[in-house]
Amino acid sequence: MSRRVVVGVFDDEANLLGVTQEARAEGLKILDVYTPYAVHGLDAAMGLRASRLPWVCFLAAITGAALKLWFEFWTTMVDWPLNIGGKPWNSLPAFVPVTFEVMVLSAGLTTVFTFLVLARLRPGKRPAMLFPGVTDDRFVLMLEESDAQFDLVRVRRLFEKFGVVAVEERIEEAGCPGEL
Amino acid sequence: MNDRQFPARLAALRRPAAAVAAIGGVILLSGLRIAPARAWADLLLASFAMVCLGLSGIFFVALQYATGAVWSIPLRRVGEALAAVLPVGSLGILAVLLLHPAIYPWYGHSEIVTEGWAGFKHAWLSYPFFLVRAVIYLAAWLGFSSAIRRNSRRQDREGGIELSRKNTRLSVAFMVVFGVTFWLASTDWVMSLEPHWASTIFGIYHFSGMFLSGLATLALLALALRATGPLRHGVSNDQFLDLGRLIVAFATFWAYIWFSQYMLIWYANLTEETSYMVLRTSSGWGSLFVVNLLLNWTLPFLLLLPRANKINPRTLAAASLIVLLGRVCDLYLMIIPPFSAASSRPAIWDFAALSVAAAGLFLVTMRSFFASEPIPVGDPFLSSALKIKK
Repeated sequence: MSRRVVVGVFDDEANLLGVTQEARAEGLKILDVYTPYAVHGLDAAMGLRASRLPWVCFLAAITGAALKLWFEFWTTMVDWPLNIGGKPWNSLPAFVPVTFEVMVLSAGLTTVFTFLVLARLRPGKRPAMLFPGVTDDRFVLMLEESDAQFDLVRVRRLFEKFGVVAVEERIEEAGCPGEL
Repeated sequence: MNDRQFPARLAALRRPAAAVAAIGGVILLSGLRIAPARAWADLLLASFAMVCLGLSGIFFVALQYATGAVWSIPLRRVGEALAAVLPVGSLGILAVLLLHPAIYPWYGHSEIVTEGWAGFKHAWLSYPFFLVRAVIYLAAWLGFSSAIRRNSRRQDREGGIELSRKNTRLSVAFMVVFGVTFWLASTDWVMSLEPHWASTIFGIYHFSGMFLSGLATLALLALALRATGPLRHGVSNDQFLDLGRLIVAFATFWAYIWFSQYMLIWYANLTEETSYMVLRTSSGWGSLFVVNLLLNWTLPFLLLLPRANKINPRTLAAASLIVLLGRVCDLYLMIIPPFSAASSRPAIWDFAALSVAAAGLFLVTMRSFFASEPIPVGDPFLSSALKIKK
């Protein structure tokens, strides 16, 4: 399935924020926004809901810490008890640093890999270059021509209000956003 | 003081606060006669807590100047107001050191120090040198603090970038001086209560607690000032989000340093080092020892972890209050056990000293805050700070 998209190219952060806010207020369907750097406030302007990635991080941290703690108790108390400086087998303070490190490691790696999988990023993937300028100094808003009501003239007028640099209409193949 | 700016809801608290300070002060003064050992320790505790809060105020301001931070400019006056408690705490510290130096076991009995480095310790803990050092620390802090605040207020009238540059240079110099003097001061005033015990991490441990409780106090003051009006347009959720993040970060930093000290002492298991922990984990102090960790790290960390809770005034205020309770608990555990090894029961003098400190903190910070513009209107970067969106 393919869909028709309208791409507006802007040259300024403030204009992009403004046009995104108005496009959303007018009920236009925002497919995505491409910027050369992270623009503060853009997530709110696009109406993105909060990322659930922190939950992945939190759960991975808890799981990693719990498993490591259990493993340390098992090795030093059950499987191969060693007398170290006359300390009791179950010496919790000695386990804390390693538990902490493993917690950070498992949380960090799990978060990164979850993100890569969700964002469908993998080695050798062809970069989806919507408009070369977004790696430099251009800001791009991509709208979907959702139905017959979509009024290109009105959208152009909206774009021009925010000093649009270029407007393009494209046909996009499903499954590869931006690979046109 | 400009009463026109002073919101009614805060002004109404001034009389009760003054009454609490007066009553607490009378009780504490009578305590100095009835139970001198404990009451002087309480005065030391309250004064040191005040000095730390004052330092955290000016340290916060200096940190922002030194790093060229813009987001925190609307909060600068809150930090400066907090720094105003520095002279009050300094008076309390000087009172303890001058009027009751016997609070330190080495005073007049330097022969009790016989362990390693005894020669150095005798010289370091000689009373005149001890006093001279205290005066140097306090004079340096007060000097930097008043210079930075004066420049910042002058900028309100004159504007321009030159005063910002001047304050940046002062701030960088202050941070270097502060790093050394605060470490030495915490060793002198708190660690030498137990002269046989030594911990090389003590200075940074105090720094972590000082800045954590300072951030919590900043958050509470800023929340109160936004809710009642003066900061309604200056301080937005973005500033509170960042304060909340800093509280989470420094609570974790405190726990990290706390554990580093505890674990090394536990692991090495040397008699002269474990005495400190043995006293604080036994005979009733043990429960406070655990509560300390909960209040300073576990509870505020979990409470402020979700982003929404850092912005929500209720949860941010709750976490900040927990942190402040934790700070009191932490200092209490450091200062009081040597004077009451057998029992962890609180004395009335404890409450008297702490209520004087709390009421004094409110009165002094409010007085200082309302003596000038609520936000630094002359700072050239203020307009970009007010536009920040995250």
